[in-house]
Amino acid sequence: MQFCRVRSVAEAVDELSRWGTEGRILAGGTDVMPQYLRGEQSPAALIDISGIEGLQGISEVGGVTSIGALVTLRRLATASLVQLRHPALAQAAAAVGAWQTQTVATLGGNICSAAATADTLPALLVADAQLMLVSKSGRRRVSLEEFLEGPGATALRPTELLRAIEVEPLGERTSEGNLKVGRRSAMDLAVVGLALRLSVTPSGVVSDARIAVCGGTRSPHRVPSAEAAIAGSQLIDGRLDCAEAGAELASAAVPERADSAQYRRRVLPGLLSRLAERCVTAILGAGG
Amino acid sequence: MPGAAGEQSVSIRLIVNDRRHQLETPAGETLLGTLRERLALTGPKEACGEGECGACTVLVDGAPVASCILAAGSVNGRTILTVEGLAGTGELTALQQAFVSHAAVQCGYCTPGLLMVLTALLDDTPDPSEADVRRALAGTICRCTGYQQIIEAALDAAQLMIRSATS
Repeated sequence: MQFCRVRSVAEAVDELSRWGTEGRILAGGTDVMPQYLRGEQSPAALIDISGIEGLQGISEVGGVTSIGALVTLRRLATASLVQLRHPALAQAAAAVGAWQTQTVATLGGNICSAAATADTLPALLVADAQLMLVSKSGRRRVSLEEFLEGPGATALRPTELLRAIEVEPLGERTSEGNLKVGRRSAMDLAVVGLALRLSVTPSGVVSDARIAVCGGTRSPHRVPSAEAAIAGSQLIDGRLDCAEAGAELASAAVPERADSAQYRRRVLPGLLSRLAERCVTAILGAGG
Repeated sequence: MPGAAGEQSVSIRLIVNDRRHQLETPAGETLLGTLRERLALTGPKEACGEGECGACTVLVDGAPVASCILAAGSVNGRTILTVEGLAGTGELTALQQAFVSHAAVQCGYCTPGLLMVLTALLDDTPDPSEADVRRALAGTICRCTGYQQIIEAALDAAQLMIRSATS
């Protein structure tokens, strides 16, 4: 095996086009290295992109936040800009592994590994994340929803590199949150993870609700039927009744034959209620 | 195109515990392998080998990493601190001393990792709450003592360091 250290996106796409399916991109390596060490992967080349400085920034471009693919989960969890504009993403990043993992694990890696349990994906899905892909033959932009093709499978071509992730920051009277349930609060995979982004009008009507889950048998995904059950609801005494949406979420997001289906179905509605309460409190606290 | 046959080597420069090194390592070698096998720094331990237990924790540019799953090639040019580097001057750090006085060590296998992650915490958050300490310890597993003495040692060391900085 060869270790190819690249310093720029141009060098990276050159190496990717040279190695094709024989090459494996190495960013933080928290997924790739254990797979290699266990002998599950034997690429002819590890293409180490961790030194590409151009992929490590967080910036605001035309009203959206652009996050370089190499931004680490630790940085997402602790950066004040992310905590303020993308709280669900900051909370999700903080729930991955432990400090040692978050130091090196990258957002791009979490997306491209595309595990069913990928903690950051629900938060990205409710922020309508768009992925900026680049290869030697050009650039393209794909929504995260389209990118995910099943657990471990994505639309990334062997010669392509994920360069940046664009996410919608919170709008007016909008709040969001992320919760994860695992067997431990650290160092464990999600049994379920849930992100909610909620918008409420000044008259107390839910104008937008986005709900996404991870931890099931499918790729992390939005749950439109649960979203529809909340959208248009009227707050009563500053509270949002999520019972119907919770029931819908449990049945739509957890197939009957899934592992621990009963447990997951019982947990999800509670998580949704807690997130909704948190969001409503934040929205009413910020603007009445 | 070269296939799976034979690992090519990769050249890396590291500063480890204040000493500069230039090394040739096999392409898939982990930082832990390099530290233990090439630099004879056996403080960081291999236990799970999967980044789950924290016994291999070292600091890269001041931040804790699981060195057992970190490719040595990807830390080229970086500064590494292992447990051997803590008492570099021959004197134990306040944290190490607190581990001794609180009997926070039993079999000792996890101790190097615990010391490193807590060193990073005290650097990052000089006056941590108990919750901060517990959160920092989440990725470093001890199967002997329980965590109480370890947490108390960390909190005590923080207070000691604050007092000695202000006196």
